[in-house]
Amino acid sequence: MAVIVKQVKLSWLDRTYFWPVFKGMVITFGHFLRNLFTSTPKRYTVQYPDMKRVMPEGYRGLHELKRHADGSIKCVACFMCAEACPARCITIRAEEFSDLNLTQGFEEKRPRVFKIDMLRCIYCGYCEEACPKDAIWLRKDYELSAYDRLSMQYGKWDLMNTYAEEDGKARITTDPKPAVCSQKASL
Amino acid sequence: MDTLSALLHLSPETFWMIVKILVVFAGPLTIAALLTWVERRGSAMIQDRIGPNRAAIFGFRLIGLPQIAADGIKAFLKEDLVPAEANKVLFWLAPLLAFIPAVLGMAVIPFGQSFESGGHTYHMSLLDPGNGMGMLFPMAIGAMAVYGVLVAAWSSNNKWSILGGMRASAQMVSDELSMSLAVIAIFMTAGAYDPHDLIQAQYGLWNVVPHFLGFLVFFTCMFAETNRLPFDFAEGESEIVAGFLTEYGSMKFALIYLSEYIHLVVASALIVTLYFGGWRVPFVANPGPWLSVASFLAKTLFFCWVFVWVRWTVPRFRYDQLMKMGWKVLLPLSLINFLFHAFLMFRRG
Ligand code: SF4
Ligand code: SF4
Repeated sequence: MAVIVKQVKLSWLDRTYFWPVFKGMVITFGHFLRNLFTSTPKRYTVQYPDMKRVMPEGYRGLHELKRHADGSIKCVACFMCAEACPARCITIRAEEFSDLNLTQGFEEKRPRVFKIDMLRCIYCGYCEEACPKDAIWLRKDYELSAYDRLSMQYGKWDLMNTYAEEDGKARITTDPKPAVCSQKASL
Repeated sequence: MDTLSALLHLSPETFWMIVKILVVFAGPLTIAALLTWVERRGSAMIQDRIGPNRAAIFGFRLIGLPQIAADGIKAFLKEDLVPAEANKVLFWLAPLLAFIPAVLGMAVIPFGQSFESGGHTYHMSLLDPGNGMGMLFPMAIGAMAVYGVLVAAWSSNNKWSILGGMRASAQMVSDELSMSLAVIAIFMTAGAYDPHDLIQAQYGLWNVVPHFLGFLVFFTCMFAETNRLPFDFAEGESEIVAGFLTEYGSMKFALIYLSEYIHLVVASALIVTLYFGGWRVPFVANPGPWLSVASFLAKTLFFCWVFVWVRWTVPRFRYDQLMKMGWKVLLPLSLINFLFHAFLMFRRG
C-alpha cells in the first residue's frame, strides 16, 4: 500500500534550524520547571511500592466470594460462572448441606470446593456478570503474586477472605451451622 | 596565601601549584560525576519522569545523589570482560586514551582572575600565561580524544565498534575545520591566542556579541566534538548498538563514559572562555579572585546544563545529514564569519 508522505513546507526561519531548536528548548524547559516545582507524589509516575494507584470504579481485580451476614457463602454452586468463564479456570464441586429448602430459609446447595486458577484467569469479569446470586465480585486488588504456581490456586476460603481486612470483616474458615436465618425467611 | 603556605612548610609557588592541580584535576572530575546525575534527573524531569531516586545512604535518598556512588561501585565490582579476539593492549589502552586528553584540556583555561598576594602574582590557570600554547592546547588535546574512540573501536574487533569509530573520526574531521575557523576569527580580533589575553580583550563586550555566528558554529561543533546528541554517531542504539563502546564493560566503560562528561565540562569552559568573557562579571571591572571563580563556575555549569538540555530536546541527526551540515553549512558559515571580521579589521586599518 502506497502511503503519501505529506511534504511540509518549511519557512526560512524553520530552515535555519536554530529557531526550531530554540523553540523546542523552551518547551522542554517548561516541562523541566513544571516537574521541578511539582512534588513527587503529584507527578505522573506512581512510585509503586510507596504509592499505590487508586483503581477506578469498575476495575476488575482479584475476586471475592461474597458472604451473608451470618458468614454463609452466597454462592449456590449453580456453575454459571464456571460455564461463562472463557479461561475455564473455575472449578466448583457442589455439596448439599441442609434438608431444609429455600422457603424455609436455606439454599440447599453450596460449593464444597470453589477454586479459581489465578494464573489462568484473564480478569474478564464474565463470572461476575453470569452470577445470578451476585456472589462473586471482581474488586480492586491488583497485587497478585506468589513464589510458586500452587499458591496462585485460590480455594474457597481464600476467595471468601480476599478482602476481609479491607472491609473489616472477620476471616472465616468454616461454614456456619445452618440455622433459621431471618434475612432469608423474608424471601 | 603566604601564611597558608608557611603553615604547610611549602614555598608559595609550590603551594599554589598544588592547589591549582587539585582544582584543575578534581574540579572537572567532580562536575562530570555530578553531571551524570544531572543528566539522568534532568532528562527525567524534561520527559515528565522521575529519574533515579532509589539509591540511598543509610536510608537517606538525598534526591538520588547516592546513585553516582552506586554506579561507581558497581562499575568497579563488575567482571572485566575482554573479548577473545580483541587486541588486548589497545583494548586496555583505549579508556586511558579517552580519559587523559579529556582531563588535560582544562590545563590552560583560566578559572579566575589573577591576583596578587605578598608580592607574588598568582594566576588561576594551571599553566601561567605566556606558555606559548595558549588556546591551541585545549583544541589540539580535544581533537586527540577521538583517538580514544578510534582505538577502542579498532581493538574491540567488532563490526559495530568499527562503524562507530569510523563515524566518530569522520565526524571529527568534518567539524574540526569549521570550529577552528570560528576560533581563528577570535584570535584575529583579539590579536592573541593566550586565554588570559582573550579574556582581557573581552573587557566590556563579550565575544558572543560580535562573533555570534562564530559562536553558533563553535557551539554546534562542540556537540559533535563531545560526541553527544544530536550528533552521537559513535554510538547509536538502533543502528550499531553501543558503537565503539559495544565490547566495553565495568570500569573501562565507566572511564570512557566519565571522560565524555569531562570533555563536556572542558567544552563548556572553552565556550565560556572564548565567547562569554571567561571569569568576567557583567558591570564589574575587577571582580577579584572569589567572585571571578564563582562567575566562571556559574557560566561553565550553565553551559554544561545547556548540553544536557539540548540533548533531551533535539532528536538525532542522520549520519549523512551531519556530514552535509558540517561541510555545507557550518564551514561556509564560519568562513563568512572569518571573512567578515577580517574585512572589519581591514576597514578599521
Ligand atoms: S474473570 Fe473471567 S477468566 Fe477470571 S474467573 Fe471470571 S470468568 Fe473466568
Ligand atoms: S459464584 Fe455465582 S455463578 Fe458461580 S456457582 Fe456460585 S452462584 Fe453460581
